[in-house]
Amino acid sequence: MTQDLEFRRELISIIPNLRAFAASLAGSFDRADDLVQETLVKAWDKQHTFQPGTNLKAWLFTILRNEFYTQMRKKGREVQDVDGIHAMQMAGHPEQQGHLDLQDFRKALDQLPDDQREALILIGASGFSYEEAAEICQCAVGTIKSRVSRARTRIADLLGIQGDGEYGPDSISSQIIGVAPAA
Amino acid sequence: MSERKTEDETLQSTVADHQSRQPQELGPNSVIGRRLKAYYDDVASEPVPDRFLLLLDALDQAESGSSSDRG
Repeated sequence: MTQDLEFRRELISIIPNLRAFAASLAGSFDRADDLVQETLVKAWDKQHTFQPGTNLKAWLFTILRNEFYTQMRKKGREVQDVDGIHAMQMAGHPEQQGHLDLQDFRKALDQLPDDQREALILIGASGFSYEEAAEICQCAVGTIKSRVSRARTRIADLLGIQGDGEYGPDSISSQIIGVAPAA
Repeated sequence: MSERKTEDETLQSTVADHQSRQPQELGPNSVIGRRLKAYYDDVASEPVPDRFLLLLDALDQAESGSSSDRG
C-alpha cells in the first residue's frame, strides 16, 4: 500500500519530463499526452517488474520510447506531417520572441533523423548520462555519442551557429576579450 | 588565473569520469545546449495535467477493487 503510494508519487514527479520527451518524439501535444497516458498504464501494469532502487525515470523513458516506435510501425509514416502539426501546436502560444525562438529550434530538430533527435534530447535536455541513454535506446554508448555529435553539427548548420562549445569556455572568453590564451 | 583553469579541468575530468554525465558540449556554455533546454523546459515546466492524476486514481482503484474481489 505504502509502496503503491510511493510509486505513484514518483510517477507523478516524472510526468513533466515524459511529456517533454514525448512532445519531442511525436511533434504534437495531443499525441504526446496520449503517449504519456499509454506509458503510465503500461508502467502501472508492470510495476512489479521494476526493481526499486534502480532508475525509474530511465525505465519510464524506455517504455514510452518503445510505445512510440510500436505505434509508428503500426501507423506507418503518416505521422510525419510535422509542419502542419507544429503550426497547430504553436497556435496556442502567445506570440512572443521566446516562442519564435522555440519554433525555429523545433524546425531544426525536425530536420534530424529520429535516432539523432532522441539522442540529443536524452543527453542535452532530459539529463541522462551516455550510458543511461544507450540503455534506453538499446544501443552502444559509442553510438549515442556519435548520434549526439552528428545532431549538434547539423543543428549548428541549420541555425547558423559557429564554433559552439567546441573550444571550451576559456578560449571562447579569450576570443571575446580579444586576447590569446596564455601559453 | 592559470590556477583557476587547472581547477576547472580537474572538475571536468571528475564529471566525465562519473558516467560521462552532463556532457560539456551541451552544457551552459553551448548555445545549442541552452536552446535545447529552453525548448524542452517549455513543456517540462508545465503543471501535470489533471487527466494523468485522474488516470492514476482510476488505476489505483481498479487494482484495489480487483484485489478485494479476490480476498
